[in-house]
Amino acid sequence: MQSPNGKESQERFVIPIGPQHPALKEPGHFEFTVEGEIVVAASARLGYVHRGIEKATESRTWVQNLYLLERICGICSHIHATAYSLGVEQLAGVEAPPRAQAIRELVAELERIHSHLLWLGVAAHEAGFDTLFMYTWRDRETVMDLLKGLTGNRVNYSANILGGVKCDVDEAQASAIYRGLDFLERRARHYLDVVTSDAAFLERTRGIGVMTREQAETLGAVGPTARASGVPRDIRVEAPYAAYADFPVHLILDRAGDLEARFVVRVKEMFESFRVCRDILDRLPPGEISVRMPRRIKEGETISRVEAPRGELFYFIKSNGGESPERIKVRTPSLCNWASVLNTVVGHKLADVPMILVGIDPCFSCSDRMVVIRTGRGDPEVWTWEKLRRYGIEAHGHHT
Amino acid sequence: MDITRSLIALLFFPGGLFLLLLGLAYEWVHRKLIAQLQNRIGPRWFQPLADMLKLLSKEEIVPEGIHPLLFTSLPVVALAGALTAALYVPLVGLAPAYSFPGDLIVTVYLLSLLTLCLGLAGSNPLSRFSLVGATRTLTQLFSYEAPFLFALLGPAIVARSWQISEIMAYTQAQGQQSLLGWLVFTQPVGFLVALVGLMGKLELPPFDAPEAETEIVAGVLTEYSGRGLALFRLAKNVELVIGLTLIAAFYLGGFNSAPGATGGLQVLLFFAKTLLLLFLLAGLQALFARLRIDQTVGLWWRFGALLMLLQWFILIVWRGMVA
Repeated sequence: MQSPNGKESQERFVIPIGPQHPALKEPGHFEFTVEGEIVVAASARLGYVHRGIEKATESRTWVQNLYLLERICGICSHIHATAYSLGVEQLAGVEAPPRAQAIRELVAELERIHSHLLWLGVAAHEAGFDTLFMYTWRDRETVMDLLKGLTGNRVNYSANILGGVKCDVDEAQASAIYRGLDFLERRARHYLDVVTSDAAFLERTRGIGVMTREQAETLGAVGPTARASGVPRDIRVEAPYAAYADFPVHLILDRAGDLEARFVVRVKEMFESFRVCRDILDRLPPGEISVRMPRRIKEGETISRVEAPRGELFYFIKSNGGESPERIKVRTPSLCNWASVLNTVVGHKLADVPMILVGIDPCFSCSDRMVVIRTGRGDPEVWTWEKLRRYGIEAHGHHT
Repeated sequence: MDITRSLIALLFFPGGLFLLLLGLAYEWVHRKLIAQLQNRIGPRWFQPLADMLKLLSKEEIVPEGIHPLLFTSLPVVALAGALTAALYVPLVGLAPAYSFPGDLIVTVYLLSLLTLCLGLAGSNPLSRFSLVGATRTLTQLFSYEAPFLFALLGPAIVARSWQISEIMAYTQAQGQQSLLGWLVFTQPVGFLVALVGLMGKLELPPFDAPEAETEIVAGVLTEYSGRGLALFRLAKNVELVIGLTLIAAFYLGGFNSAPGATGGLQVLLFFAKTLLLLFLLAGLQALFARLRIDQTVGLWWRFGALLMLLQWFILIVWRGMVA
């Protein structure tokens, strides 16, 4: 039979995953070198959904950018707008009223519930456990409806404006949220039971993709991925922003570092979100929900750090005193977690790869910051720091 | 006259066209059950037929660098094998169209033809997904095939015959005495292994590692489109019906349990029993996460095969004591 690969099956060969592949919800390219079913090397190539948002912010006003930046991520849109608003408010020397800060936190925590439920479904699907996938996505509808009732939108909520929020919480909305949270808490308790006791599922998660605390710290993992390896890192606790000082959350940690721990940490974080959402609604500060913002922002630069559902989201904002920012740099949590995938995947079976890949809850379009067109099929090009810097200066057309 | 009867049995009823339609109907029931268990609505009743017609009307793309004859003929062989196997089983509760001593073994091998064709089809193209899929398909074949065969031979031992119609006569006689005479109660391990073995044969979850879409796209079927894909799917549907028929005939007391049963009741019992099995199958399928291929092999050889051997041992000892 004419099968040149027949012989290779005993040796190493490369399994390409992507740019288009059923396991990936967004385009990305991964090459896993396998010996039989065992992965011996892994590499990632991103950039297929690079949109040039950072550059685009420089030609838009401060207010327009709020809506542009919210669209960096379709799942954690609110947290991007929050990070940006907090940063710009800090530059302008304005502080949003306490009620607005509390509503920001409320929406952020509802968004976290939505994001974690979505992830739970996707991860279950990667393990071939479609029943769990279907049920979590049904329950996710509940929290999306709550967000729609609160802000008018299911996905890009646009709850933030510079200087506050645009939507208030009334009695009817509050009681709807209480009801929804009760339902979701019952469901989440069930899911925690499933991911910690379903024998067939545990076969696929327990002891798979283990990352030790040392590895997590060396590789710079963030968010639930790091917390599942016992790294106590959560911006909400370390450096409370918005209303997190008044309505604190507890750090959820697990020391196992395997896929099961990543499930457990995320589901337990949902309980923490349910609790803090109720806490906010119970004692929502009275008063205004926004203050006036100047059109021009004072010259200066600042950083803004928030905890997105996937981990630390970092904004660097620089103003030259005009109507548009001079530079906005976004570092999303997915970018920090890629290295952990490429390191932990080695030595595992090919069948475990999709689950380990999805275990960090990757967001591809969040990660894409530049595109390099590979012309030939030769060795990947190595970019030195000097070359990258020169390229950046030329591409952006100016240098400060 | 005999030739006409043979042709009808081959082409229209119970084999051939009727079996294809029955396969599509069972596919719909299966998909609908899974959907309902997973909190979805599921397809409309004509969806499997619509899928089939659409696939048949589509262009069949033959990839470069392969053996084109092998590529196009394998699906045909697979379907032909499944359709031939149907002639030896009591479809719709009626007596098998053909019967000879030892036809049980022939049927089991004809059923394996589909898996062998899939394995060959997967190692033919240059696609790596197909190749990994083929490796997994054949690995899985070696793990479930022996226990599955054992599970079908359990009834053969107690019936002292390797002929499907005689085994069925035995199980029906047992079933007519009392409900507890059903072999599912006297040989529960065999029943379970046969049912789960059928899931492995059809590559249904949790044994769907050979076509795990999140890892290897569609496994061996990755490069198939149009007619080839349609025929492979039809072959799987036919195997589903045949597998359920065999298990119901052997373990659920055949299709003639009630004394003095008429032809109509036989057909009714056939549908009732096979659909009950299908429901069990769908329930198992919805309950589990996908097993890795090494876990599948481990499960079959550590538990399936050993339990079957234990049951065989008990059966043989029991027979020696009775005789």
